[in-house]
Amino acid sequence: MQYLFKFPDIGEGLTEGKIFQWYVEKGQSVKAGDALVEMETDKVVADIPSPKAGVIVKTYGNIGDTVQVGDVLIELEIEGVAGSEAQAVAKEKPAPVTEHIVEEQNFGVVGKIEAAGDGAYLPSSGEGFVPVEEAAPKSRGKVLSTPVARAMAKDMGVDINLVKGTGPSGRVTKKDIEQYHNSKGYLSNAKQQPLPEFRPDVMIEAVPLTQIRKTIAKNMLRSKQSTAHMSAMDEVEVSELVALRDKYKLKYAEQQVKLSYLPFIIKAVTLALKAHPVLNAELDMENEQIIYKKYYNIGIAVDTPEGLVVPVIKDADSKSIIELSKELEDLGSRAQNRKLTLNELRTGSFTITNYGSIGGYFGIPVINYPQVAILGIGRITEKPVVKDNLIVIGKVLPISMSVDHRIVDGGEVGRFMNDLIGYLKDPISMFLE
Amino acid sequence: MFEKYKPINDKMYQVMDNKGNLILKDWKGSLSDKQLTQAYLDMLFERTADNMAVSFQRQGRMNTYPPNLGQEAIHIAVGKVLTADDWVVPAFRELGVYLAAGASLMEIFLYNKGNENGLKYINAPHLLPMSVPISTQLLHATGLGFSINYKKEKGVVFAFVGDGGTSEGDFHEALNFAAVWNTPVVFIIQNNQFAISLPVKQQTKSINLAVKGIAYGIPSLKVDGNDFLAMHDAVSYARKNAADGKGPFLIEAFTYRMGAHTTSDDPTKYRTKDEDNSWKEKDPLNRLKAFLTKKKLLKGIDEEKLVDEFKQKIEKEFEAAEHAPEYKLDEVFDSMYEQIPDELKRQKHAYESFLLYKEKVQ
Repeated sequence: MQYLFKFPDIGEGLTEGKIFQWYVEKGQSVKAGDALVEMETDKVVADIPSPKAGVIVKTYGNIGDTVQVGDVLIELEIEGVAGSEAQAVAKEKPAPVTEHIVEEQNFGVVGKIEAAGDGAYLPSSGEGFVPVEEAAPKSRGKVLSTPVARAMAKDMGVDINLVKGTGPSGRVTKKDIEQYHNSKGYLSNAKQQPLPEFRPDVMIEAVPLTQIRKTIAKNMLRSKQSTAHMSAMDEVEVSELVALRDKYKLKYAEQQVKLSYLPFIIKAVTLALKAHPVLNAELDMENEQIIYKKYYNIGIAVDTPEGLVVPVIKDADSKSIIELSKELEDLGSRAQNRKLTLNELRTGSFTITNYGSIGGYFGIPVINYPQVAILGIGRITEKPVVKDNLIVIGKVLPISMSVDHRIVDGGEVGRFMNDLIGYLKDPISMFLE
Repeated sequence: MFEKYKPINDKMYQVMDNKGNLILKDWKGSLSDKQLTQAYLDMLFERTADNMAVSFQRQGRMNTYPPNLGQEAIHIAVGKVLTADDWVVPAFRELGVYLAAGASLMEIFLYNKGNENGLKYINAPHLLPMSVPISTQLLHATGLGFSINYKKEKGVVFAFVGDGGTSEGDFHEALNFAAVWNTPVVFIIQNNQFAISLPVKQQTKSINLAVKGIAYGIPSLKVDGNDFLAMHDAVSYARKNAADGKGPFLIEAFTYRMGAHTTSDDPTKYRTKDEDNSWKEKDPLNRLKAFLTKKKLLKGIDEEKLVDEFKQKIEKEFEAAEHAPEYKLDEVFDSMYEQIPDELKRQKHAYESFLLYKEKVQ
């Protein structure tokens, strides 16, 4: 009978080896223990001996070929039974396999390592023969699986030995059992919900891009692809700012001015930018220079139903809090109504995104390219803070910055943020300068 | 008896040379001619079984295996002095000793196929399992020796360790305690020159390994481990010494691991052919064979035929191991206690849950 000898794991956890030299050739007789081939592996160069006495029918692979552990190395005609005689024997004996040659037990590092492929165990008799005709499906000796899968098969009334395994080394997985179970109609009593038909006409909707969305998409991508984004975050205790705004809110409300925190923040930003001009600059790679801007035009990100727009408050540094408030309101309402002129969207030198007015704490804003810095404002939140060695309820403003790290170093961001935090903590200080 | 072989002088006890000629001219051993011949055949059997074990591993029929090639004289010498009262505490490269203690080859193969039932050693109740954690077994040996004294039992303990193991703290603790409590333990260091790939020269600055016993007050001796006659003298003496209540004894068996550390090791990467060849001349089997041939004791023995018979027997043992029942998960938990404690129950349950989880993620 024919016997397939597969390349075993001769080290610990080897997956492959290289054929170094063949000691045998087709037609040659070998004894059990005779060296068949010398294999080179990651761990050892070793002779592989024959597990059986017999005649070499075929050798697989040439010198230098890489062989995977579990690949057939040699086909042997085992002594004693041969040719038609072997076939006769095969017919008489109950076939331990249906359509595959029985493979030898294969050992590796720990415990039984399953022979690759079909992975049937070597029975004590009738091993390694090639059946000549296909018999009706019969259980193999034992398939590879986990105890849990075996238990599941038992519960479902499935003969696990009939299931074709798709797991490692032909292992029968839970899925295989389920599929086999379903394919055999075991589920006839179970409710089977048909999957809803996929109908592209009603299940999805394709909407053409608006001009504004196209612009946003292009600008966002350009910014991310053209700059080296770096972000930093901090918290500012703004109780004094809150008190200040509360104090004047009603007074200006009478004059139809809606006093928010944003004008204070814009003011603080312009002051900090003056001390750290690189954040109010632009990188001109073409001419290899940094362009410092002597104007402080602060873009304000506005959320509109059509998408994000960023109107610009020109010369924000020279405007009072009330002037800024009025302009913000005007720009904001015209942005909502899409009444902004192109000019009002241009020449920003720094951008603030006040996402906190909707929600959110920290964020990583995308720089409004070719500007080099953007400030994100989160929602003011009551939090425990330490003041004069006491834990008190503080009003905490989270701030998040992104800068173009190509020209803005981390230290400069830190210093800029320190100044900004200083102004926001102690808003009166802004008006003393 | 060994006064001239003080470890501090690095003098090694040898009886015969590489060609089987007596170095000690008026030497008279304690074994009969028949016993000497049998010892050679035992060594031959160990070597045949060992070679076949490597072959079985290479055929993919067995897991990683540590070859004994070249160290058989040590094992058979111990085997010849072992009594039923004695204990054997192995490292993992003492095949001949396990067989002498009553283990079957089938059990040894079974263990090396990853089935722990191979450690049951049905007919060797005084043989401990192999100990892969280096040197830990020496503490067990000392403990066994202590218990023999405490219970006023007969018998001595033979404990094995490699050259690398002498660098472990356990080695020193075991020696110290064994000496302080005068335990009947024979410590045998199989100095086969390499701790996997690390040569002894880099293992220790001591002039030899036997000298390490002196500081603990243990009589110690460096012996040619490839000289069966010398080894037998040494272990006989050490056994008697221990059995007579004189306490532990340390033997450095100076030998050479002619094979690989394990089947996963390739020694050509760290030692030279010249070195290998120089030790082939000291092959323990060839030396004893030459000695016996000179005494005309091997007449009528057809070695080739004998080896064939050995092979058939070994093959049968291996096939028996191949057809042994599988090792069950339950046995991991069930054999230590008569009644499984709650904590082990919990672990067993956790493992079963893990299998369930593994199945789910698969």
